[in-house]
Amino acid sequence: MGTAILMSLRNLRQGGRRTVLLMVALAMVTLLLVVLNALAAGLEATMLRSATTLSSGHVNVGGFFKTTAGQSAPAVAEGARIREIVEREVEGADYIIDRVRGFARIVSENASLWCALYGVDIAEERGLRDVLQITEGTLDEIAKPDTVLIFAGHAKRLEVKVGDVVTLSAPTMGGVSNTVDVRVGAIARDVGWMSAWAMFLPKDTIRRLGQMRPDATGAVQIYLKDPNRAAEVIEALRPKLAAAGFRLMDPDPRAFWMKFETVNGQDWVNQKLDLTTWRDEISMMLWILTGFATIRFFLLGLLMLVIVVGIMNTLYMAIRERTREIGTMRAIGMSRGGVMRLFLLEAGGLGLLASTLGAAVGSALALGLNAARVRIPSEAFQAILMSDTLLLALNPVNVVTAVAVITGVTCLAAIAPAWRAARMRPVGALHQVG
Amino acid sequence: MQAAGPIVVLEDVHKDYPLGRTVVTAVRGVSLTVQRGEFMALAGPSGSGKTTLLNLIGCVDTATSGRVTVDGHDTARLKEKGLTKLRLERLGFIFQSFNLVAVLDVFQNIEFPLLLQKKLGKAERAARVNEIMERVGLSKQAKQRPAELSGGQRQRVAIARALVARPALVLADEPTANLDSETGERIIDLMRELNRAEGTTFVFSTHDPKIMNHADRLVRIADGRVVEGTN
Ligand SMILES: Nc1ncnc2c1ncn2[C@@H]1O[C@H](COP(=O)(O)OP(=O)(O)O)[C@@H](O)[C@H]1O
Ligand SMILES: [Mg+2]
Repeated sequence: MGTAILMSLRNLRQGGRRTVLLMVALAMVTLLLVVLNALAAGLEATMLRSATTLSSGHVNVGGFFKTTAGQSAPAVAEGARIREIVEREVEGADYIIDRVRGFARIVSENASLWCALYGVDIAEERGLRDVLQITEGTLDEIAKPDTVLIFAGHAKRLEVKVGDVVTLSAPTMGGVSNTVDVRVGAIARDVGWMSAWAMFLPKDTIRRLGQMRPDATGAVQIYLKDPNRAAEVIEALRPKLAAAGFRLMDPDPRAFWMKFETVNGQDWVNQKLDLTTWRDEISMMLWILTGFATIRFFLLGLLMLVIVVGIMNTLYMAIRERTREIGTMRAIGMSRGGVMRLFLLEAGGLGLLASTLGAAVGSALALGLNAARVRIPSEAFQAILMSDTLLLALNPVNVVTAVAVITGVTCLAAIAPAWRAARMRPVGALHQVG
Repeated sequence: MQAAGPIVVLEDVHKDYPLGRTVVTAVRGVSLTVQRGEFMALAGPSGSGKTTLLNLIGCVDTATSGRVTVDGHDTARLKEKGLTKLRLERLGFIFQSFNLVAVLDVFQNIEFPLLLQKKLGKAERAARVNEIMERVGLSKQAKQRPAELSGGQRQRVAIARALVARPALVLADEPTANLDSETGERIIDLMRELNRAEGTTFVFSTHDPKIMNHADRLVRIADGRVVEGTN
């Protein structure tokens, strides 16, 4: 084996410029793969952070309350009891909060818009405190009754500033329309375009707007130490809640505000709980991740195809040049498998060397770009990427995977040429001209 | 594995090569027996069928008709794997153009068949390679690559490689054709010496009268037929 590796490496070096070009190409594709993966991971991390700041915990225990079959509100009674069960039963929680949910038309003197409302106890909202950048007013204002925290985008559209009063208008549990006037207490910088869909108010203000009972809440939001355990936590929690006498909706991976139609179409009344993960709550935006993954897939697929053709071509050339050598080795007793292994090893060595190089440079680039906090020039891209700076999350597993994939593809591309080499008859080595 | 009987038996062997629409007959009805331990020359002008015959004996090509028996095996009955094994275990090859592996040094080239055989450990292989390098006078060149050697030295490497696994039969197709006559004669002498010392059978082809005179036995072929020297 040692000799075989030595032969492959030396043959690669013998390949000269051909090998170098192929290595550069392979390294570039690996680099691209690593950087795009880091970008995708960064995007996902940003989404997770925005989603879990704005509208969701890692796990949410929310639900709907229906006075009649066709009339639902995103609220559950006995909020305190639900929260108590969650606090008792969920393991590995970082912290737990609950928010009252609502949906209202926001009317200013000049404009109006629809927005999801979150009733919060600002004192326990650790995530909001960490992530929101308040540009006007203070976060603590939102502890006072009848205040609202809006985002820069809202402020612009509604043409309001801190201290201005806006009117919230929404249907109540009873089905009639109700309004509440609130004062803008703080304006925060946008957090991607998800922030267009969220405003924060004191819990009681939303309860009053929706004429909910004082123990009503929208959802208990659980923040886990390990967000990847969300599904597992839900599995464990469902039977516990059922045992406590709560009725549960079937799992439905959508944001709560997309479920009204479905819920209204069902013929139950009173309340059912709905358990969701953060992914469910931002499912309408997962297309960004999917889209990004798709573009990445096709781009890299195309590049890979070019590489595959390059590798095959190079190997066919190498095999033609080394016909005599292959024939000689076959004549002195190397098996077909042996010849095949030799060429696969050569291609594999090339792939491994090149992709390791590319991954190293790509990792350095990703880390560098991330540290440099490069500003994203276009607002559209800022919105899609949910951040105004380029965020790349380098994950060692992704880097190793990239190296493995590129090396694997190189080996796969080598199979056909290696097979041809293996099938060559040893007689080619002995026949001399003349 | 030391089978009794002659090492090579050819019985009415024919070999045709398709060439476009016609057929070139390179060997026409050769019957020949080579005994173990012989040092035999296959002589004949260019195009007479020497290489073809050596290929048939060397199990790298198959006869169109007739029977080729090598070391007791009817080669027509062996599959690819069996032929490879026979070549690896029982045959050694020396080529006109030396055919060394360019990227390996002298030691590694000679060690190659032992690696393929997977029978000996590292230390035993080294001992065997060093011994044969000594015999062919290349101990000082162990670390050199073929490109750094003279033609005579390269052919010595090839001889060492052919003999390192102690084959029963060594086939050499015009081993001196790419060497000057003095070097050529020395190469043949070396082969001769190894033939005596090890008892290895040698069959080599040549069209050089000076070289063929070194053989114990001379078989002349012309036009794919044996014209002199059958038993
Ligand atoms: N692969 C081949 N295809 C067609 N004809 C061949 C082939 N190999 C050899 N021949 C022909 O067979 C005859 C014998 O060739 P060869 O065995 O190489 O002779 P020698 O080695 O004595 O010069 C020649 O006429 C040669 O042209
Ligand atoms: Mg010839």
